[in-house]
Amino acid sequence: MSSTVIAAPLLERRYARLGALLIAPTIVVFSLVIVYPLLAAIYLSVFSIYTPTLEGEFVGIDNYIQLFTEPAFWQSLWTTLIWTVGTLSLQIVFGVGLALLLHQNLWFRSLARSLVLFPYFVSTVVAVLVWRWLFNDLYGAVNHGLMQLGITDMPVDWLGSMPNAMIGVILVGAWKYFPFVVIAVLARLQTIPDHLYEAAKIDGAGPISRFWDVTLPQLRSVLVVIILLRAIWDFKEFDLIFLLTGGGPVTSTQTLPLLVYQEAFALNNMGQAAAYSVGMMLVMLVFMLIYIRRTRRES
Amino acid sequence: MPFLRKLAFNLFTWSLVLLIAFPLFWMIVTSLKPQTELFRIPPTWLPETVTFEHYARLLFDTPFLLYFRNSVVLATTTTIFVVLLGTVGAYSLVRFKYRGRDTLAMLVLFTYLLPSVVLIIPLYLMMVELGLSNTLTSLVLAHTTFALPYALWLLRSFMEGVPEDLESAALVDGATRLGAFKDVILPQLLPGIISTALFTFILSWNEYLYALVLVNSDSARPLTTGVMTMLISAFNIEWSLLMAASVMMSLPLIIVFAFLQSYLTRGFGAGGVKG
Repeated sequence: MSSTVIAAPLLERRYARLGALLIAPTIVVFSLVIVYPLLAAIYLSVFSIYTPTLEGEFVGIDNYIQLFTEPAFWQSLWTTLIWTVGTLSLQIVFGVGLALLLHQNLWFRSLARSLVLFPYFVSTVVAVLVWRWLFNDLYGAVNHGLMQLGITDMPVDWLGSMPNAMIGVILVGAWKYFPFVVIAVLARLQTIPDHLYEAAKIDGAGPISRFWDVTLPQLRSVLVVIILLRAIWDFKEFDLIFLLTGGGPVTSTQTLPLLVYQEAFALNNMGQAAAYSVGMMLVMLVFMLIYIRRTRRES
Repeated sequence: MPFLRKLAFNLFTWSLVLLIAFPLFWMIVTSLKPQTELFRIPPTWLPETVTFEHYARLLFDTPFLLYFRNSVVLATTTTIFVVLLGTVGAYSLVRFKYRGRDTLAMLVLFTYLLPSVVLIIPLYLMMVELGLSNTLTSLVLAHTTFALPYALWLLRSFMEGVPEDLESAALVDGATRLGAFKDVILPQLLPGIISTALFTFILSWNEYLYALVLVNSDSARPLTTGVMTMLISAFNIEWSLLMAASVMMSLPLIIVFAFLQSYLTRGFGAGGVKG
């Protein structure tokens, strides 16, 4: 009797030690490649560093004063918000719409799903190359299609002028990332019990009111998670915008991640770039904390 | 009447699906057209003459194969490294109790959402200091920053799906924790591991920003930045060649899609979009 009483905590302690041992390699790698650089970014943001020589000096909060007083950061933040809200709304509308369609009894449904899923997994480089070719002003298929349909009679300069460049970037972003919404919503749709729809049918609800009264409330929680996640990911998107427009024309599509890159590797002000990146992270932190709190509550 | 409605529904949905897939169709069509046919107005929707000259040029006259090899090495190494660490780490996070465990899990989630541009400047300095700039090693380490939190988070939720009583039964039968892990948990977790490995591979294969900043020589350049240099260095942009490169670059993905797609959709369910 007494031996098991002693043995249980002993075993527990041994297990705790084993558990800590198993997580140790992960913690080491985490600290080296994530935690240390994260702290270093904050540290670097109070220095002025010239990128090619990597020499610099302590400047205190000068970089942050620059961030607050100069328009660059705030303009970029505004651009980032336009991009995020624009592309995210399209992703949600098309994502939910297509999920509803693909949930029905469609011919060759699995083929249709694969085709819809593909843009999400394809490399951003590939997506951008194809779209830049499609957007080509003289020989691009988009302008040709628009002209044939009679929507415009002149070729549109898609990526070189405003507001077309922003519209183009938002459209390509929506095309690339809406499959994420499709998959997540489809998975949830499959778990909505049929009897809810039958009950609504008996009550005389048509397809549209069944969507508003049954489907949408059931999708609510998954949509909140999708919107949070996609808002965070769209906000920090670099590749797609950088490769499509490079932030141009001039700086009209320069979102915050592009601003950081530009400041560090084109204008060679690494300290200022680090300050921008810290500022950007602080803006994102709100969404990240909401998402983390939500996930914690669920588990 | 029901048939007509069904037909209309199918036509509508399929035209949307084909519209979404059109860029991919156009990529393949363009890669097969001879250069002269490319600049025809109006464009030909299907190639009049099918040619594989761009693929031949890509493979023999450009460094494409070198980039391809770099990408294979990079994505494979990252995947193996991250999945090994992640599997053991997730096992510890889910099945052991110790102080700081939940904080650690939340830290993983936090880093999973962290923007790369915040880490890129310190990582760049770190690689220069370690003498690792322009190596594939630097890219493997850099890819770990997003792949490890991702893999850990995914594997953690797969691990939660493995029933706990299986492990307890093995322990009662006298197995050690690690023995039970190997014989009972790993086989159960295998589909989750495959899912995670595929996701990690694709993430690493597609990554652009780190490759742009950390690697500046052909010997270590992966496909993403490599193909973009082909665009920039060309005097007049050879769209057919670039489209051929795009098709070749998507090859691993097409293979995954053809044979292992169920693992991809499974990963979605586990990857934090439960709700």
